[in-house]
Amino acid sequence: MNNMEAPPGANLPPSRPNRGSRLLVQMAKRYDLYLMLLLPIAWYLIFHYGPLYGLQIAFKNFNPAKGIFGSEWVGFEHFTRFFDSYYFWRLLRNTLTINLISLLLAFPIPIMLALLVNEIRSKAYSKWLQNITYIPHFISVVVIVGILTVMLSVNGPLNMLIQTFGGDPVRFMESASWFKTIFIGSNIWQNMGWQSIIYIAALSGINPQLYEAAKIDGASRMRRIWHVSLPGIVPVIVILLILDVGQFMNIGFEKILLMQNNLNLEASDVISTFVYTTGILKGEYSYTAAIGLFNSVINLTLLLLVNRFARKTSETSLW
Amino acid sequence: MKRKQWGRSAISLMIISGLILGGCSSGTGGKKDTAPEGAASNAVSKEGFPIVQEPIKLKMFTRIAPVNGPFKDMPVFQDYEKMSNVQVEFIEAPTDGFQEKKNLLFASNELPDVLYRSGLTPLEAVRYGAGGQLIPLEDLIRDYAPNLTRLMEEYPEIRAAITTPEGHIYAIPGIVTLGSARTDKKWINRAWLEKLKLQVPETTDELYDVLVAFRDQDPNGNGQKDEIPMTARVGLHIVTMMSGSFGLDQQFGYNINIVDDKVEIWMGSERNKEMLMYLNKLYKEKLLDPEVFSHTEAQYLAKQGSGKTGVFFDQTNNNFLPIADQYEGMAPPAGPHGDRMQSQASPVPRDPGAYAITSENKHPEASIRWIDYFYSDEGSTLLRFGREGEHYELKDGIPYYKEEYSTSETQPKITPYAGGGAPHLISEQVSSYINPPQVQDAQKKLDPFMPEIRYAAPMFDEKTAQEVNILRNDIDKYYEEQSTKFIAGALSFDKWEEFQSTLKKMKMDQLQQLYQDAYDKMKK
Repeated sequence: MNNMEAPPGANLPPSRPNRGSRLLVQMAKRYDLYLMLLLPIAWYLIFHYGPLYGLQIAFKNFNPAKGIFGSEWVGFEHFTRFFDSYYFWRLLRNTLTINLISLLLAFPIPIMLALLVNEIRSKAYSKWLQNITYIPHFISVVVIVGILTVMLSVNGPLNMLIQTFGGDPVRFMESASWFKTIFIGSNIWQNMGWQSIIYIAALSGINPQLYEAAKIDGASRMRRIWHVSLPGIVPVIVILLILDVGQFMNIGFEKILLMQNNLNLEASDVISTFVYTTGILKGEYSYTAAIGLFNSVINLTLLLLVNRFARKTSETSLW
Repeated sequence: MKRKQWGRSAISLMIISGLILGGCSSGTGGKKDTAPEGAASNAVSKEGFPIVQEPIKLKMFTRIAPVNGPFKDMPVFQDYEKMSNVQVEFIEAPTDGFQEKKNLLFASNELPDVLYRSGLTPLEAVRYGAGGQLIPLEDLIRDYAPNLTRLMEEYPEIRAAITTPEGHIYAIPGIVTLGSARTDKKWINRAWLEKLKLQVPETTDELYDVLVAFRDQDPNGNGQKDEIPMTARVGLHIVTMMSGSFGLDQQFGYNINIVDDKVEIWMGSERNKEMLMYLNKLYKEKLLDPEVFSHTEAQYLAKQGSGKTGVFFDQTNNNFLPIADQYEGMAPPAGPHGDRMQSQASPVPRDPGAYAITSENKHPEASIRWIDYFYSDEGSTLLRFGREGEHYELKDGIPYYKEEYSTSETQPKITPYAGGGAPHLISEQVSSYINPPQVQDAQKKLDPFMPEIRYAAPMFDEKTAQEVNILRNDIDKYYEEQSTKFIAGALSFDKWEEFQSTLKKMKMDQLQQLYQDAYDKMKK
């Protein structure tokens, strides 16, 4: 988090005419820090920017034998095919709704949890609550989906309960209308504790004198949360929101794939799983590279918009 | 936290482009000539063993089924290495995720020498063959594969099924001359029928009544309603098994009827609607296993052996041996229009794309010679039964597993054929285990209803193959999803017209025409 708030350049003195050489002098002075910076830069170049050259296959008919550069150009053919495809609107709708609902429901809950934990006076109890809520984070996705399948199967505990109260068993895992509820609900259950850690940390950084001052002024507990705690963590909230939007289109690929079946596909078919099943399993690399590119472009646009909005309204933004 | 999210935001691009990173080296790697350099000093003998005088090494990429053990421990590969002087190193990929690994091998151009038990579809064979990653085998087969050549002469449909319009063969199939290894039998619980004093159903309506009786009358006598009247492999296997009763054939390995030289893709037809409605009725009334769209292969096999199932479908009785005497094979029931056909039946080249040689291979002649042995009865016996005396005994010249190797735990460990798809010959001679009298009887029930001719999936040229691929990716996905929903009742039959018109919009007519052209070409 640190380098976000204070980028390395911030400590440099104001620029002068012979800026280039001064920068070099500065760098030479702090060469050890810059050496450390080399490693992350190399990581990004090799693993994040390097592979970008392969993007060109989205505009080509990729043939592995000819290689990326040797394959023939086809222009926007793959994009047109995707936009004309029967699945285009469904994929877009599912991708957007799953992520939008996730963002609306799953984003505020860790904040509330953090505020709650912060207000608990008993240290032991608050630690206990924290541990209980963040342990599920460490369970692997495969196991989570396994648990869901068992718990929600027709003969599972939940359906037993429904039946004892006289209801008809529900096929939770095999129905399109339940998919989003189960997917998002279990995501919240699994991750809220973990995601609240950052907020709890931010809350503990708020100056205690502010609370005391508020108390003396006669602010109730709710007032103190509203006027002291929340404003104190707004910058963190905004940054995390932007980061969440940054992965907006790609959330939960593995989990969706594991939960997918032909009966809930109507609600569970999203761009990232479509890219996997069509691209990797059926070998349509160019077509799905085009879809992936489209996905990323939307994502980038969203990220830029939210960042701009945040900068204007709350003076906190990624850049 | 932050880094992870950044990584994810580019994941779809990363997957695709990252995987292909290795592709840039193909300029040097892919240009190898098929002519082997080492051949001059280490000649490949045209017959007899060893295949080569000096030992050579081959890397084979293979699929390993959950029931198998490591290939290097199998007697066939241990003995054959000594016989042939060809040392094989197997790169084993489990059935789950095999398709993915196989595609990545090709996409990254990091190829093994040979693909063994690879299940390449005709489309894949053409795509990778035309791209130069698989080498054409037709000349090698002619010169170095006497057994295979003999089989191809005896069964001309083999050559037709594997030769591209340009005349190339890029992959060798598993060949099944034994009729009963090409069908899934319809097994019915005879013990239950007898207990409830019912006849073996002859029509789909009678089948319905029998299933209702299985469900309601507690045929296993434990006082609980735990019977599963009918089940099948996960997904639309049930459609494949029942379509023959509704006049729907499975030609070209696809949902195709051929009537008077006319190819018809029947997915949008009224007959299909009737069938789906019938299956929907079964599903709704819990006559068809509610888990038929979600259970795993292992669970399905366990159901076969549980004694709680009334009707199910499988090629052999191997998965329910301990209770096999409860079951018998039945004939396909006659449908509402009197259709009575076993539409599910594989062609003689049953397992397509089972063996292919890549452009990386320096010893293509030896590789062909190596596989050809398994297309003889002798080689197939070694592959399927292991060593005489140790794993099997001969009775009247027919090999039978010894007691300790004839259970569903031990048998798949000694042979790579268990789990399906291995490149070899399955003939009468080597089928004592998969074709015992009970299975033979079940096959006899099917025999009168077998289609006259069974066309394997056709080979298209590269351009057409690509076209078919694009069309089918959309159509198949749609068809499978909607059929599942029709059967499960998640979609009402009011939407049938929408289903038809969407299929039309996805250019099913064009796909039908492509198959028609392939058929016409074949007839000429």
